[in-house]
Amino acid sequence: MSDNEIITYFNDMLARLEGLFYHEISGTAVKKVDLIGIDFLHSKKIGGKTAEEVVEKCVREITSMGVVKNISYSIHGHGILLKLEIDGCIHIPKEAKLKEDGVKPFMCPIANMIGDRIIEILNYETTYMANMDIDEHRGKCIVKYAIFENIDKIGQVSDWTKL
Amino acid sequence: MGDILDVITTRKSIRKYKHAPIPDEMIDKILEAARWAPTGENHQPWRLIVVRDLETIKKIGQMAKVGSGIFTTTEYCMGRMRQFEGIKDQKERERVEKFMYTGEVSAFLGKAPLLIVVTGSCDALDTPYDLSACAENMLLEAHSLGLGACWVHGPVAPIRGEMKMKELLKVPLGIAEYKLLAVISFGWPESPRKHPRPKKKLEEIVFWEEFGRKERPRYV
Repeated sequence: MSDNEIITYFNDMLARLEGLFYHEISGTAVKKVDLIGIDFLHSKKIGGKTAEEVVEKCVREITSMGVVKNISYSIHGHGILLKLEIDGCIHIPKEAKLKEDGVKPFMCPIANMIGDRIIEILNYETTYMANMDIDEHRGKCIVKYAIFENIDKIGQVSDWTKL
Repeated sequence: MGDILDVITTRKSIRKYKHAPIPDEMIDKILEAARWAPTGENHQPWRLIVVRDLETIKKIGQMAKVGSGIFTTTEYCMGRMRQFEGIKDQKERERVEKFMYTGEVSAFLGKAPLLIVVTGSCDALDTPYDLSACAENMLLEAHSLGLGACWVHGPVAPIRGEMKMKELLKVPLGIAEYKLLAVISFGWPESPRKHPRPKKKLEEIVFWEEFGRKERPRYV
């Protein structure tokens, strides 16, 4: 199989798995998939003292390995909202397939692996997938991913819809 | 055999409790009700952790605040918290929304006199569904005894929250070993129960013979 065929093969399987998982447990599915994708960066030397530094180093690894062509990022909303603009991700066909099946994409391995490093390196409390907007025709995603530094961040609200 | 419809239709989630212990006999009855829940192939996957230690309860309350709060904060910030739009009084609506997005909706667990953590072995056929039936049995029994109770999924719904709860309660950590379904709080209701929240009418939720068919055919 060519690289592209292998990627298609795995994306098709992931899309089926996610679709079936959503069918089985409905909206809670998004709360159960945070660990998918995290292993990819476990063997990489990533450090940092701030969320921005950790994200920057994760992005360098992810793009250098060719999983994604480009990622730009920014942090908003009292430091809670990590916005990732992802271009040329190998998982775009998975998200497109889910959309075709009527399932709003809810699991981004890229966000998960970055969030996991933030938790492990900076001792953040946890993360949560806020939203995924997929433009499969242009090969781009906008992911809004909540990163909670500590329990005091719970309830620090602001408008994330226009970001 | 007695009709338990009255018990079912008068139960509601109670989140505020008096500072009074629950007698062991009542706890035993609640656990006994759990034991008799329906279960696929009679597997009985449930394992119930009864928690009365105040420090542990407090920690679970914090976990509940996180588990629910990360979801509700996100929902509010993303403009998706629409379920309270029907509340006309602006201040009351803001109060309710804040109660939700701060995670307080679940943090009350930390002040309950008794928690039962519903876990189950993953090697059964229908573990989550068996555990759900088990939880409902406990809620109904507690209500019939005059106790208040509330089923809270929040602290164990996120996978990281479930892992932390397993560590706290020394539940085996393997992904194939035990699932934590929910935490249920119990206590004497702080104030008289109000009637349960409105429910959808039967006409909205029942179809006859096939999905979408609302008229009831004559049974022959």
